[in-house]
Parts: sequence; C-alpha cells; structure tokens
Amino acid sequence: MAVAGSGAEGHSSVWELAPGEVRHAGIVHVVMLALFTGIGIVVGTFGSLAVPIGFVSAFWPGQAVQAIGGVWYGMWGGIAGTIFPFISNSLSGSAPLPVSLAYVPANFVQSMAAGWAFRAFRADPSLRSGRDWTVWIVWGVLVANLFGSFWGSNVLVFFGLVTRAAWPTVWAGWFVGNTIPSIVLGSLILKYVSPLVVQTRGFTKGYWA
Amino acid sequence: MAAVVIRDLHWRYENAREPALRGCDLEVEEGAFLGIIGPNEAGKTTLVSCIKGLIPHSAHGVYQGSVRVFGGEVRQKTALQLAAEVGMVFADPEAQFTAMTVEEELLLGAENMGLPLPLIAERLAWVSELTGIADLLQKSPYDISGGQKQRVAIASVLAMQPRILILDEPTSMIDPLGKRQVFEILRRLRTETSLTLIVVEHNIEDLAPLADRLAVVAEGRVARVGTPREILEDTGFLGALGLAAPEVTELFARLRADGLHNGAVPLALDEAVAEGRALLAGARGAP
Amino acid sequence: MRRRKTLLGMVPLESPLYQFHPLTRMIGLVVLAVLPLFVLMPEANLVFLAALFVLFAYARVDISRLRIYLPLMVTVAFFMFAITVLAPDRRPDDIRLQVLGVTVYYQPLMRTFASYIRIMAMLFATIFYFSTNHERDMLVALRAARVPFAVSYVLGLSIRSAAMFLEDLTTVRQAEQARGLDDSGLSIKDKLKMYGLYLIPLFTMSLRRADEISNALFARGYTISGRTITGGPRPDYVLSQYRFRARDAVASGALIVLFVGVAALGWRYGAFQLADSPLNRWLAGALQP
Repeated sequence: MAVAGSGAEGHSSVWELAPGEVRHAGIVHVVMLALFTGIGIVVGTFGSLAVPIGFVSAFWPGQAVQAIGGVWYGMWGGIAGTIFPFISNSLSGSAPLPVSLAYVPANFVQSMAAGWAFRAFRADPSLRSGRDWTVWIVWGVLVANLFGSFWGSNVLVFFGLVTRAAWPTVWAGWFVGNTIPSIVLGSLILKYVSPLVVQTRGFTKGYWA
Repeated sequence: MAAVVIRDLHWRYENAREPALRGCDLEVEEGAFLGIIGPNEAGKTTLVSCIKGLIPHSAHGVYQGSVRVFGGEVRQKTALQLAAEVGMVFADPEAQFTAMTVEEELLLGAENMGLPLPLIAERLAWVSELTGIADLLQKSPYDISGGQKQRVAIASVLAMQPRILILDEPTSMIDPLGKRQVFEILRRLRTETSLTLIVVEHNIEDLAPLADRLAVVAEGRVARVGTPREILEDTGFLGALGLAAPEVTELFARLRADGLHNGAVPLALDEAVAEGRALLAGARGAP
Repeated sequence: MRRRKTLLGMVPLESPLYQFHPLTRMIGLVVLAVLPLFVLMPEANLVFLAALFVLFAYARVDISRLRIYLPLMVTVAFFMFAITVLAPDRRPDDIRLQVLGVTVYYQPLMRTFASYIRIMAMLFATIFYFSTNHERDMLVALRAARVPFAVSYVLGLSIRSAAMFLEDLTTVRQAEQARGLDDSGLSIKDKLKMYGLYLIPLFTMSLRRADEISNALFARGYTISGRTITGGPRPDYVLSQYRFRARDAVASGALIVLFVGVAALGWRYGAFQLADSPLNRWLAGALQP
C-alpha cells in the first residue's frame, strides 16, 4: 500500500501521491502481472528464436519488456520479468529449467533496475527531459544489462555451456543483444505508451500500488 | 422488498471533466425485470456498474450519493458479498473470459464463493442446460461463435446464482441468431426463476415485451421510469432523446395521433397484428 | 495422428501418458529436466536422450514436429564449439591437435561435447513435457501440489495472455496488410523495426484488456488471497475430476528414487562424470601423441 506522505520534492511528478491519496494493490495488478508475463512469453520466445547465437540471442527484446514492466508496475512488473523467461526459454529451447532457475537474479535486476531508478530519481516514464532519458539509459539499459549479462554469462560457464576463456565474448554478446532492443524498443514504448499508462488504475506509483 | 435503491447518485471518473452520473434516483423491486434504455454515453453502463459495485470498488473517481442493494450500502460491501448478490454480464463476452475452457469459465465464480463440490456440479449442469452450452464445456471460450460466447458469459454468472442479474448490452456484439438465443434465455429466467433482472439494451423491440418496467437514462440521470407501454407510447419523448420505439409502436402511435386508432398501442409484432386485425375489421364494418 | 493445439504447442489427442495424473507428469518434468545436471558422461546422456525419444514415441508425439528445434540445436552446437576452438579453457597437459591447419585441444573439445549432449538432454526433457501436457494439466498439477490458487491462476492467465497478445498481433498485422503493407521485401532490420512499432498498439490493447479482465474477476468474486464467501477453503472442481491412482504413486516414486539415486551417485560418489566415459578414455588414449 502507498499513502501520501510529506516527502514531496516540491515539483509535481507522476510518482507523487495526491493529498489524501491511498493506493492499494488490487486485482488489476494481478492481471497486469499476468498480462506482462504473457507479453514477455511471446516477445522473449520470438527474440530467442529469431536471432539465436547459441544460448545468447543477438536481439532479445524481452529485456525491454522486463524494464518497462518494472517502471510501470513496480514489483508486479519485476515478478513478471522474472517469471516469463522460464516459459519463453523452455518454448524456444534456449535454456533448460535449471539454467533458467539460475538466471533468476539476472532477470530480476534486468526488470527492476529501471523500476527502482525511475522511482528513486522521480524520472518521468514518458521520457520528457534529458534527465529522464539519462535515468532510463543508465539504469534501465546499461546497469540492468551489465549486471544481467555478467550474471548470465557466469551461469553459462557454471553449467559448462561455454568455456571460461570465452566468457568475455559471451558477456559482450549478451550485453549487446539486450542493450540494442532496450534502447530501440524500450524507449519507443516508454515514450509513446507511458502517457496512457500513468492514467490507468494499474500504474504503480510505489512498488506494489 | 426493494432489491436496489439509488438516491442522488453522482459519479465522475478520474481524469474526466464532466460527471458521468448527475443525480440518479432509481428503485428496483425484488424479482422485477427492469430494462434500461437510453442514448449512447448517457450513463447506462456507469449506472449498472454502480449497482454491481465496480464503481467505486474497482474504479477511481468522485462518488456521491447512495446505492443500496438489499438494504446494504454497496460501498460497504466486499467483492465477495457483491458477487453473491449481484451478477453482471458485460457487452463484450470475450472481455470477461479468463479461463482455458468453457467449463473452467463456468466454475470460477462458484469456486470463488466456496460452494461445496456437489452443488457446483449441480449448478454446472443447470446453467449448461439453461444456456444450451453443454456440448461446449471442453472447448476454449475463444474458439466458439459470438452468440455462444455470450451464452457462456451469462452461464458463468448464473452459476453463482446471484439475486440480481445485470446484463449490459448483452446482444450488442452478436449476430441475429445469437440475439434471439440471449432473449430466449432472458425469457426463461423471467418465467422460471425469481431473479431480479436489470438489462441495458438498445434493442427495445425485444426488451419491451419482457420487461416489467423501463428506465430511460439520459445525460447522466434517470429521466423517466414506467411500464414499457407508458414509456414507448410517448414516441415524442423517445424521439427527442434519439431513441426509437419499435416500428409497430410508432405506426400505431401515429395512427392514434391522427385519430385513426383509439385502442392500445402495441409493443410487439404479435400485438400489432391483433390490433391491425381489429382496426381493419372495424374499418370494414364502418358505414 | 490426431493432435490438439495448445497455447504452448501441440499435444496428441490421445496418449497412453494421459492415464497418469498431471502431477505425476509434472514430477516427471522436474526429474527428467534436472537429472542430466548430475551427469556429464556423454554416453549416459545419449542413453537418456534415446530413452526420451522412446518416451516421445510412446506418448504418440508427432516426432516430425521436433524439426523446429533443429536450427537451435545447430546454432547452439556451432556456438559452443566455435568458442571452444577460439577460446579454449586450456590446461598444460591438454592434447594438442591440428585440424585443417587449426590448433585445437582435445580435452576442452570433449568437455564441450559432453556439455552439449547434457544440455540437449535437459532441453528435450522440457520439450517432452510441453509436447504432452495441455495448459490445464499444468494448472491441475500445480493445484494438486498445493500451490496457492492465486499462483496457479496467474500462471494460467499468463499463458492465456500470451495467446491474446498473439491474436492482437495478428489483428494489427492484418490491419497493416489491409492498408497495403507488404513486408515480404523488407530487410531483417526493417522487419525488426516494424515489429517494434507493432508493440505500441499491442501494449495499448493490453491496457484495455487489463481493465476488462479486472472487472470480470471482480464481478465473479475473485480475491487475490483466494478467500471464499463461506470462509472455508476454495473448492477445486476440476482437480476433483482427477484421481491420483496407485500407478501414479508407483511412477512418481520410481521417478523420485531415480532422481535421488542419480543425484547421490553423481554428487556424492562422483559417478557419471567425464572421466568415467569409455569414449573419452578411448579417444584420449588414441589421440595421445
């Protein structure tokens, strides 16, 4: 639950609660969790099948869905971004269950880095200013994918799917394969769909409501 | 006993400039069949959403006034209490499906209520027969025809056996055959059960013969409530709102206005045929 | 062979596997998909793969459909071996070989081969599950395993949402084509750009659906907690139609014993490792200069 407090920074933003505004997690959030998981399953599977280079996709738009979900729907988006790769990886055959399980921390960070940063820095999801863009690119794209690719490529080494010597190449492939779609698709969707989303009852100003 | 009592109800959606409801008053007796008609954007769906409790429980906005269902304020009731008392079928049947099969779709509400399994099985059989969908149970609700989808939607709400059933434009998105089937279900519900039925419908010709009363909603208010005959005979009032009475009603209303007919104005084709015969017989017999 | 389309693929309409409870089949997934993790000996994983294909045939899965995974199998193999050739994890005593003028090392190549077979074994175990289980089976299995209703329900709705998203994509594509768009001549880059632009209306449609579905769930008394109006436990009619029989108990028990046995042998006693592989020993001996 999120309740209006006195910690406003003196300027209006989509994250501020109106005086007296009380927000509860509700059915709409559960539905958004399911819808985002569904979207992620489709987009993630498509990405893994479209341009596969081994266990890494050269163009994985799933990360854009993960980051957007975290920004719009907080932890609900984070959970969706953590769950959907299990199914999309299984459907595309790009990772078996144990590997998908080991990816969980990476997927969670890929989902929630932008979600946390947009709330912490009061950035507008509609990317209206240079500052909003900076928060998106730095946290939603670079930090999220640096961690994700670091963790993910170590998982591949751990499972013996790539050699330790090949780690830098795999890491770079993973990083680029996630970063490009995040910049292109993520920015596009945030810019043009966020103005609608922030007006819906499912939009999550806090982490749960 | 009144099933629904609405007093001075105002509602404005968040982010909307104008209120959708501007002081509605309405009473619906238990066991009655109320038809709600009105032009587009008049506030019909908003009004029934307030009875169902979707407003204010599931929408953001400014709410004033009172909606009582069986004596209890809707605002104070939980989703579960409201689900047990008021069922609602939406215009787009597909928009209300969430399950993998028709059977699971029918089960969701009854399971949410915590009914014992034998009773659930009984209700499953009853609604399947009533709505004629027994052979569809194992199919996906997305892979059936529009009319079948709406019957599944009605069945899924009926399985909860609410005391009030609201249908919001149940025939607006289906073909003529599907419409006939939906009205046949309504006819059976009216005669075979003691349900309170509230039906928002543009198809006045099919609605009027079934309804005990009609409520006309316009510009966010309940403009008039009366028997179908009282409402439909005033074709001028309906015309001013952009509504049309059934063609046979309009015809006889015109004949009466021109002094050519002084009997009752028919609401349906069968009645019109009878009135027409009487009129012609009178004309032949006239000197 | 009569088949039934599921949201996740295609399953046979009739299969001897269906005599087992969905929970037994899900235990099978967990055991079979994880089991190769304890095994690096390629012969063992090849036997496992062969057994899986016998299971595919027994379950009446259309094996020709598995061809769709061929490109992935090839690219994964190419990727893994290319990396091993270009950046091998070399140890000083590795056997050095010259193949077509390229220096390669036997041990890293053998480890990669073993890992590849292992990953394929795990992958096909997962594919086997999705080729023999309908969405409803998965949900029944989760509910039978006492997973909270909210979780299994969200999973079901997610799978349903994936299908809705695909339907919406088809609608948007047909609308584009009706307005004269011909994507056959577009480059991959332009196609990707086009799909990116599709995402905007698709997301917008999803927002509308979220509202509609939430209203529908509210209208039918759905609560996140699974609380019922009587205050009692939530009944499960669908689950009540399935029975966990003696054969399920035997099959599940056998699967669990198999799992524990292989895990114990692999982890505790170091069995099924590459060093135990007769093929590896023979090749290493043959290639030793």
